[in-house]
Amino acid sequence: MSSVSEKVQAVFQEPGCAKNRAKSEKERKKGCTKQLQPGAAAGGCAFDGAKIALQPITDVVHLVHGPIACEGNSWDNRGSKSSDSHLYRMGFTTDIREMDVVYGGEKRLFRAIKEAIDRYDPPAIFVYQTCVPALIGDDIEAVCQAAKKQFGRPVVPVQSPGFAGSKNLGNKLAGEALLDHVIGTEEPSYTTPYDVNIIGEYNLAGELWQVQPLFDQLGIRILACISGNAKYREIASCHRAKATILVCSKAMINIARKMEERYGIPFFEGSFYGISDMSDALRNLAGLLVRQGAPGELLSKTELLIRREEQKAWEKLKVYQKRLAGKRVLLITGGVKSWSVVSALQEVGMEIVGTSVKKSTEEDKERIKKVMGEEAHMIEEMTPREMYRMLKEARADIMLSGGRSQFVALKAKMPWLDINQERHHAYAGYEGMVALVAEIDRALYNPVWQEVRLPAPWTEG
Amino acid sequence: METNGETKSQNAEHVLDHFHLFRQPQYLEMFERKKREFEDPACADEVEQIREWTKTKEYRDKNFAREAITINPAKACQPLGAIFAAVGFEGTLPFVHGSQGCVAYFRSHFSRHFKEPSGCVSSSMTEDAAVFGGLNNMIDGLANSYALYKPKMIAVSTTCMAEVIGDDLNSFIKNARDKGSVPQDFDVPFAHTPSFVGSHITGYDNMMKGILEYFWDGKAKTIAPLERKPNERINLIVGFDGNVVGNMRELRRILELMGGDYLIVSDNSDVWDTPADGTFRMYDGGTKLAEISEALHSKATISMQSFCTPKTLPYIQGKGQETVGLHYPIGVAATDQFLQEVSRLSGRPIPEALEKERGRLVDAIADSSAHIHGKRFAVYADPDVALGIAGFLLELGAEPAHILATNGDAAWEQKVRELLDHSPFGAGCQVYPGKDLWHMRSLLFTEPVDFLIGNTYAKYLERDTGTPLIRFGFPIFDRHHHHRFPVWGYQGGLNVLVRILDKIFDEMDRNTNVPAKSDYSFDIIR
Repeated sequence: MSSVSEKVQAVFQEPGCAKNRAKSEKERKKGCTKQLQPGAAAGGCAFDGAKIALQPITDVVHLVHGPIACEGNSWDNRGSKSSDSHLYRMGFTTDIREMDVVYGGEKRLFRAIKEAIDRYDPPAIFVYQTCVPALIGDDIEAVCQAAKKQFGRPVVPVQSPGFAGSKNLGNKLAGEALLDHVIGTEEPSYTTPYDVNIIGEYNLAGELWQVQPLFDQLGIRILACISGNAKYREIASCHRAKATILVCSKAMINIARKMEERYGIPFFEGSFYGISDMSDALRNLAGLLVRQGAPGELLSKTELLIRREEQKAWEKLKVYQKRLAGKRVLLITGGVKSWSVVSALQEVGMEIVGTSVKKSTEEDKERIKKVMGEEAHMIEEMTPREMYRMLKEARADIMLSGGRSQFVALKAKMPWLDINQERHHAYAGYEGMVALVAEIDRALYNPVWQEVRLPAPWTEG
Repeated sequence: METNGETKSQNAEHVLDHFHLFRQPQYLEMFERKKREFEDPACADEVEQIREWTKTKEYRDKNFAREAITINPAKACQPLGAIFAAVGFEGTLPFVHGSQGCVAYFRSHFSRHFKEPSGCVSSSMTEDAAVFGGLNNMIDGLANSYALYKPKMIAVSTTCMAEVIGDDLNSFIKNARDKGSVPQDFDVPFAHTPSFVGSHITGYDNMMKGILEYFWDGKAKTIAPLERKPNERINLIVGFDGNVVGNMRELRRILELMGGDYLIVSDNSDVWDTPADGTFRMYDGGTKLAEISEALHSKATISMQSFCTPKTLPYIQGKGQETVGLHYPIGVAATDQFLQEVSRLSGRPIPEALEKERGRLVDAIADSSAHIHGKRFAVYADPDVALGIAGFLLELGAEPAHILATNGDAAWEQKVRELLDHSPFGAGCQVYPGKDLWHMRSLLFTEPVDFLIGNTYAKYLERDTGTPLIRFGFPIFDRHHHHRFPVWGYQGGLNVLVRILDKIFDEMDRNTNVPAKSDYSFDIIR
């Protein structure tokens, strides 16, 4: 248990996080996330956060040590895609029972690890700690250690009992597990001056594949993507990369910063969402690589690619200008997405009536002000009731948000488009932004919205 | 069954069924030899070439230039519709004057669709009857069926054979009555239903009008015509409907919620859905005979399918009733219209319960809108059903591309076009009255769609063109029990929505289910 609380404290102290730095010592100790309010609706737990952060690693067994609740409700629940192994989509759990709670679940866990190796021969096993075994004192670190020794295979403990805190914290704990047990344990078969890591990209709906061709064209090799479409070996040997791009979230900033600290790999934060943001990301990555010793021609090659791709994308977006101009959008999402899609939407003439900043940093907020003006309506915290009222008052024509807010939007008679993790369309890169606008267009012009907004004809007048 | 049809061969100890038998090596070899030695076949390349050619625009033009031959029609004949209307009345035996073969078809048609026995008799005309007229067959036929099956009413329609030789039902039935085949006051309404005119929906119309005329206008001059004394009741005529079992019960539920006095004229939902409780019911449920007479006094009549009642409705109107013609209401707007008409005629408000159902359907459509939006559909069905489906598709943001009805006419085409013109989603849609399924085949090849909506016969189109089929309409032979689910009303709309969505998701899964090839998109959450 002490190791969990130590880890949590370490994560809270994360110096790479601007939010953390702005806090007093005392505040930092309390943690980054708001204390949960008992009785109020809440999101996922630390286990959930750790699991979704690592689950996209495709070729390992993700073994959840706990009663059936944790894995039973969550296996294969995320649309992160794999081009190869599908092992990550199978649900593995120790499914502990009453007797295990009484006598301890360590032996069962050990046997489960053995059976998983016997049957599936994975390059590694990730073992997730959950509330119940953590409470009864199962020492998964020790079990993993023993299993690793016995079976000669990496067995990675992920200390993520749900009670440790929020989902966001869980993301970070997952990062710690990678840092402690995976990264740097193997060597790549060869390296190039163009090797990069992507951190915080989960290949949801195959978004990595929208970006990867751009990298390929520039000759940039993705040594590891943490964790979308990743293989264990890639992550184990990713400490030989020349640069890291941290996308889309502060959640894994601990990995990026500590890799800089340990292996001298510089990182920057970028986004694949939005046209100019995609270009910035490519530009910064190329710059960073050149600074790290890659040939200077990479810069001009990158500019050329950017110019061509941007032109193509704007061309495609033009079609939508007429149909979307003047439509008002409410963005309920988190982090960089709160500003990164804004410019593309503005380009087709849409008006952003508000954007949520609950999960955004001060930096994100600055960006929002830059793209949306000082008047930008930033929504700090929005209860479903408030969201409903805002939508109901028809201050927006469409809401872009995660699946959880979907039904609020629908009940408020509001077209809605999923831009979070359960979505089915990929919106990254240049193509992705065109796809997003196309989807907005479809959502806005679906005839059901007219139906939804009109009362039953007999109630009129 | 442990048989592995692929490897074991046929012998007395081990008899293979048709799924496996002809896949055995000795049969494959035999077919090959037969083809080679006796069939003088065209070379495989040429066969393939012709097959490909049938998919081209050039072939389509030739196909649409067809004048004489109909290939794979999507319609049936008049007596089928006449029987459909007739069995909706209490204790009524449909009696088709003509050859018995036709009637065997009608019975099997209904039985295969509804999975119920379908009682219906013919006068079994033979060559003699064709030469000398079918009067004796009518006399004997009515006597036998009255004695054997003890109906409360016999509704007589005709096959082509009787029509060609010009048998006069009115006088024949009168003759039979005089000869004592049936009691003098036994009800024998009738309708001429030649198959070479119109289709089953025409037969429905003729039989329905025939029965009403018989009861209202003096039972073929045996009594005085009825005098109309208007009351507040509202009649509903449902038309020829493959989903009748589910739809009738839903309709009754809706009307009960509305409150007021209603009469469904011809309700065959019970006779085609009898319980397995040890009792054989040759007749079950249906509109009471006394109610047929009473129906004259009703305030108004709503036809749920106008193209099934082009003669019946004006006839009723001529009696002084207000009439309303609908087109198989599927979905929100169509159900709205139906309820508003009922509300207007009955003077009763639409209850909150129905308004809630409406909201739920709208909610369900909204939940799933992204998946249906912009999908292209081809539809063929009976005229009213096609209109109902097309209207619902437009509501969902789907794009109908081809709407075809073999038994649709110019008036139907006009109606469909009006409907399409009301929605941007109807912009690219073509309407094909009088065309058949071979025309549809060309359409699906030259202007492909995402999904096809049609009856069982569309499975050949699905196979040939690879267009996924959503089964809807009549007949559905190869899937069971669809007819038990309503498609009318808001609840019915939900059923149709789910049927469409299931196919969309099935296709999505089918396109992503190859292990290690396409299953990166084989998701549990859609």
